[in-house]
Amino acid sequence: MANWVFSGLRMGVKTTRYPRRADETPGVTPGLPLGRSLTGGEGREVVARCPTGALMTDGDNITIDYRRCVHCFRCARGASDPLPWQGGYQWARAAAPPAQRRQVGVAAEEERTPGQPLGTAFARSLHVRVVDAGDCGACLREVKQLSNPYYNLHRLGFFITPTPRQADVLLVVGPGTDQMRTALEKAYAAMPTPRRVLAVGACALSGGVFGPSFMCSDGIGSIIPVDAEVPGNPPPPLAILHGLLLLAGRAGERREEEGPT
Amino acid sequence: MTEATAVAVFFVLCGLGALLGLVTKQERNPVLLALIGAAAALAACVAGAHALFAAQPFAAHLWPLPTGGTLRIGLDRLSGLFLLIVGAVFLPTSVFSAGYLRRYLSHYSLRSFTVLYFGLFASITAVIIARDVFSFLLTWELMSITSYLLVNFEYEREQNVRAGYLMLAMGEGGTLAAALALLLLASAAGALDFSALKAAGGSLSPEMRWSVFLLSFFGFGVKAGLVPFNSWLPRAHPVAPANISALLSGVILNLGIYGIVRVNLDLLRPDLMGTGVVTLIVGTISAFVGILYATTENDTKGMLAHSSIENMGIVTAGLGAGFIFTAAGRPALAAIALVAALYHMTNHSIYKALLFLGAGTVDYRAGTRDLDRLGGLIHRMPWTALFFLIGSLSIAAIYPFSGFASEWLTLQALLRSAELSSTGIKIVFALCGVGLALTAALAVTCFVKAFAMGFLGLARSEQAGEAAEAPASMLAPMGALAVTSFILGVVPTFVIPTLSGALAPLGNPQATAALVPPFFAQETDHAGLPADFAAEFHDLGAQVGERIIPGRGLVVLHRGGAANPVVFAMSTSYGVVVLVLLLLITWLVLARVSHRRRIRREVPWAGGVRQLFPEMTYTATGFSNPVRVVFDAILRPRTVEDTEETVSAHFRVAIKRSEEPTHLVDRFVLEGLTRTLNVVAAWFARMHHGRVNAYVAYVLVTLLVFLVASAFV
Amino acid sequence: MSYYAWPRTLCTDSAMQASAITFRVPEQLSGRVDVLPEGDRSRCELHCEAGQLQELSRWLRRRGFVFVGLIVEQEAERWLLRYVFYPTQRTPESGDSSWVHLLISQPLAQTRFASAIETIPGIDWHEREAEDLFGLVFEGHPKLGDFVLHDDAWQEGVAPMRKEFDAHTAVSHRAPDPHWRPKRIVHAAGAFAMPIGPVYTGVAESAHFLLETVGEDVIRALPRFYYKHRAVEKIAEGRWPEDVLLLAERFNGISAFAHGLAFAQALEAIGETEVPPRARTLRTLLAELERLRHHVGLIHDICESTALTVAASQAAILEEELLRLCGALTGHRYLFGLATCGGLTRDFRDADLSSAVARSGEILRRLTELEIKLIKTSSFLDRLEEVGIITAKEAQAYGLVGPIARASGVARDLRRVQPYATYAQHTFEVPQESEGDGYARLRVLLAEARESTRIISQALSVLPGGPVRAESIACGPGAALGWTEAPLGAAFHWVRLNEEGRVSRYRIIPPSFVNWHAFYLAAEAFAFQDFPIILASFGLSVTENDR
Repeated sequence: MANWVFSGLRMGVKTTRYPRRADETPGVTPGLPLGRSLTGGEGREVVARCPTGALMTDGDNITIDYRRCVHCFRCARGASDPLPWQGGYQWARAAAPPAQRRQVGVAAEEERTPGQPLGTAFARSLHVRVVDAGDCGACLREVKQLSNPYYNLHRLGFFITPTPRQADVLLVVGPGTDQMRTALEKAYAAMPTPRRVLAVGACALSGGVFGPSFMCSDGIGSIIPVDAEVPGNPPPPLAILHGLLLLAGRAGERREEEGPT
Repeated sequence: MTEATAVAVFFVLCGLGALLGLVTKQERNPVLLALIGAAAALAACVAGAHALFAAQPFAAHLWPLPTGGTLRIGLDRLSGLFLLIVGAVFLPTSVFSAGYLRRYLSHYSLRSFTVLYFGLFASITAVIIARDVFSFLLTWELMSITSYLLVNFEYEREQNVRAGYLMLAMGEGGTLAAALALLLLASAAGALDFSALKAAGGSLSPEMRWSVFLLSFFGFGVKAGLVPFNSWLPRAHPVAPANISALLSGVILNLGIYGIVRVNLDLLRPDLMGTGVVTLIVGTISAFVGILYATTENDTKGMLAHSSIENMGIVTAGLGAGFIFTAAGRPALAAIALVAALYHMTNHSIYKALLFLGAGTVDYRAGTRDLDRLGGLIHRMPWTALFFLIGSLSIAAIYPFSGFASEWLTLQALLRSAELSSTGIKIVFALCGVGLALTAALAVTCFVKAFAMGFLGLARSEQAGEAAEAPASMLAPMGALAVTSFILGVVPTFVIPTLSGALAPLGNPQATAALVPPFFAQETDHAGLPADFAAEFHDLGAQVGERIIPGRGLVVLHRGGAANPVVFAMSTSYGVVVLVLLLLITWLVLARVSHRRRIRREVPWAGGVRQLFPEMTYTATGFSNPVRVVFDAILRPRTVEDTEETVSAHFRVAIKRSEEPTHLVDRFVLEGLTRTLNVVAAWFARMHHGRVNAYVAYVLVTLLVFLVASAFV
Repeated sequence: MSYYAWPRTLCTDSAMQASAITFRVPEQLSGRVDVLPEGDRSRCELHCEAGQLQELSRWLRRRGFVFVGLIVEQEAERWLLRYVFYPTQRTPESGDSSWVHLLISQPLAQTRFASAIETIPGIDWHEREAEDLFGLVFEGHPKLGDFVLHDDAWQEGVAPMRKEFDAHTAVSHRAPDPHWRPKRIVHAAGAFAMPIGPVYTGVAESAHFLLETVGEDVIRALPRFYYKHRAVEKIAEGRWPEDVLLLAERFNGISAFAHGLAFAQALEAIGETEVPPRARTLRTLLAELERLRHHVGLIHDICESTALTVAASQAAILEEELLRLCGALTGHRYLFGLATCGGLTRDFRDADLSSAVARSGEILRRLTELEIKLIKTSSFLDRLEEVGIITAKEAQAYGLVGPIARASGVARDLRRVQPYATYAQHTFEVPQESEGDGYARLRVLLAEARESTRIISQALSVLPGGPVRAESIACGPGAALGWTEAPLGAAFHWVRLNEEGRVSRYRIIPPSFVNWHAFYLAAEAFAFQDFPIILASFGLSVTENDR
């Protein structure tokens, strides 16, 4: 019989210091492109290379809608004037205001501004129910890595629950396929208030490369109200942690001017 | 009103009820039965209560017998207890019948039902008040026949007829054995009345004692549903109408216990250790077999029938322990065991009647008794569900309901075997204690299954989904029984003195002293208790309620010697108060904490399936399957079908599995018996060869034999 | 009428092969035979009548050909059904690994076809998918309907893969059909059907399993997929190949590189693009790196399912280290954005490659330590041994692929039998076990991880210099099949480009599609508690199947 206790202890502590200190280990994040000013005509060529329309020109600058970035790296590789790239992983921010969002099963007292944190009671005890609405497996795998010794979300007081009845946050990955629609709505309806929805990954924010189509929505925001968004394809586990910390009120949003940090 | 008057009123009412039943119209019959039955039951209750609580029994002579002696009737305290139970069960059952019998209105004759009903009632009472062998056996037969006719009421179904016939046949066999026992006693005593039998009982030889014991135990055991003669019980209950099932389990099974107790405790003294051991072992085996089949049974009434076998087994085990302690010369322990047995019998009558009435109500409204086709009834029939829940909690021996007090007391009595000297007996007690503990655990499983599958979850059939609540005439009796069951559990310190009083004429007056210490005594020196001991319990609050509540105290306690001052102690009375307070505090705290929150009701979470169908929820079979798997060696179901149908290589279109379990006792007893009888009959059938000459020869030979025999006599 | 009017000369080898095959087949075949080059081998297309399909497929099976899949294409006026086979033995007829496609063609109005289910049991799901998505009816198939498009949510008569159907139609949403019931086949007293999913415990993919049971053992397991169906094949139509490459990578993110590579190889076969040797070697290295990471992830899932937490944590550490290795080396943890038609999108510094390969060797060493400890843990092995068994006969009949097939004795590996990239030049073992239970699958995963590391070191040692992308990439009209041995088994991508160069038909036959078909065999006759473990030991991907 192998001595698992001993071998476990010998492994040592691998856990990242985030959120106390930034984690700069190579390979921990794919990074995101940074906007910059247009230089002559080459900049427009870069904007045209983006397959999902994440790059836009705004006057003299190239701006980036991170919700659409699918990490194809075309704006960084093979272009004559590639965009600057930066690491970092604190990418989460609040979702758009509710003007265009559907309200599903939301009681009157539950009206809330998106991204509003849950309150101090939940800061160190947050229960998360993960729902796969058609994702490719990479986002789900990254969510799974949250329980590995490197990230260990339990040390932050975050737990993954088996049922939405005990969940505070619904973490949704995937573009929201038509056949998962009912299940997703039911999962949201089954949560007691206060509840928040965290949309993780480009597919969940904008449909990614799959939507919108007859089978996929343009982001799960059209099915259930979304509170916070984590862009990336897939966002690394540290970015997902940042999203959860945002909802728990322990971290701030990504600030647009600074870009990803 | 003295007992005599009450009994006379009772018989008059029964006669009246029968007569009026004959002449009243069919539609009015149920109400008539309810009213007069209730009145008669009240009279019976009064008679029984009076006999039980009053100091003096009554006795009377009736008509003289041709063979000498007179027919005697009488009510001593033991009979009083049984009569009180009879009345207490017949009262709600009669009221229940008002609504329930309507389902037979157009199909069967309700007049005959009423006549038979009152006949049964009268004969049961007559059995209890009979004080001589002749009237006992006569009324016993009447009771058997009327109960058979009532069980077989829906005679048009083949299955019912066979079940009823088996009941009658086995009942007659038991009666024969019991009659032999009584006649053996009578021949030893030279007279037929019970007092003479009692006087002669002390001077019997051990072989005679054993024969009387075995004959009476197994003879009355048939009626009580003890293994190995219980085959009729699981067949008879499901086919009888629900109110008759309630009577069958709540009253008629008790008569078997009455017979055993009367013969072996009253007429004979239990001084043979062996008889106690046999009783204890048979009781434990009955309890275990009964609950095992109850847990794996899906028919509600069949399950309750098996559960009756279990409960009668527990009662018998308590009796056996009492016999053993008496033979070992420990009257206080014997008293505890016997009181526990009678307590359990009383509780069982009440909650089993409640459960059967509940099952009958469900059958009436949801159209089926099969637990695999019920479900969701708590929304459609909330009151029935509540009463059935109380019955289930009682029978599963959950604190603080009645089943807990009696079963706990029985197990504690068995544990007292530590004070005996013989190792062999102690081993037997230990094994039986383990058996009863296992039985208790299975009982919880069984009734969780019954309540959950029957009342909770989704409705598994259309009829169950549309069931309506029962009328008040059916709900009120169940409610009364539920309240009674609760009260019996919550005030054991009042029940135990009453029961030990019932044992008083049999020479065991010590149970009260052994079990209910007088903490409420006003004097400074609590009778019989050392002062520091009493002070310790005072600190625990054993005197709370002293001035308000009558009686000796509210704590059931058994004292040991100096080394072990308190052997066991329990108080459901204080416990229920504490429970209620806790629930109240919890509710208040929750209300305060969540007063700003609203409750939102959502559909159950089922993994996000688009629609949750009833066939996706657990069935009763699935719930009890682990028990079936674990005890497969005992149950040994026979596989009837295990096939797969496929089209074109690997597409299966049907997988069929079906198994048929045969009852353990049927396999060993009935089937063995029938096979032997068949063999013997086949051998004798060789006589029927059709040749007339040989038949004439038979006649001649028989004549010769008689002539020769008469020459020698 | 030939669609392959490609102005090129057939190499003489293919002509010999063509004559060899037609020499053997005259009496069975009355239709036309075309032999066309595909990549570095040829493809033989036999046009046949509907009635000849069964006989021809039996003939091919006898000669060691393996059935890949059915590709349905809607042309201007005709249906074209393509049954693809590849050879596993080098017989004189098959020459040097020439593939065979059986083609059946019918006018568009005729939507009834004969089912091939009697001779090719593995075609079951292909025909059901064609029925759901194209509206074709395969006569003789006992169980059409309610496959990709769920009957309780979709109305009848909608065939989304047809050209007439616009992929951007907004479909109105219906309430679930109240009369729909799942089909149950178990007739036993008290039998019920326990539903698992689509959203079930933990972090798991959405799929639905209906387990019919009487309480303890699963008598029948009925999986229901396509909750995650994103209609990748439909939305690819009309897009440029480089955009469809994004779909190929991202429809299953955990084997993104393998599928991206298969798609790129299909495009290269159409355009006859020559991939530079450095790119080919690097492709091998990256594909094996992905396989190593994927298998370590599966081992983590197996340990987690048996609740051996310390082992699961240690495997998770190894998986995270491999992810960081991939991320640091290539810029993306899951190797997105690397494969492209003609080579790779970026080059790597030799120093980076050496350190990455050295780290992967180190990770293998720790994986081997973990393996030794796992084998000594009897409580762990108890839950895997003799649980979830697929026999060799079943694996053959269902045409299983990948580590699952190898654990049941069917050692088929495209890297060996139909090599691509530089696999033909490397030395490696294809592990094989025979028991077919969970433990055998675990052993195969560990052995494959070892072999992957071997191939990675070999690839690094022979890595040539040069460009990583072909200079000219032609992508004219044409159609070809690209394939790789993805971590879960053989993956095939069929691509057809129209005159403009856009994708007009894209068909993916992923390994999970083939393997999920046989999953129910393993799950039945075991208790509920074994179900999650059987699921984990299979390690199949729902998203790969659902596309």
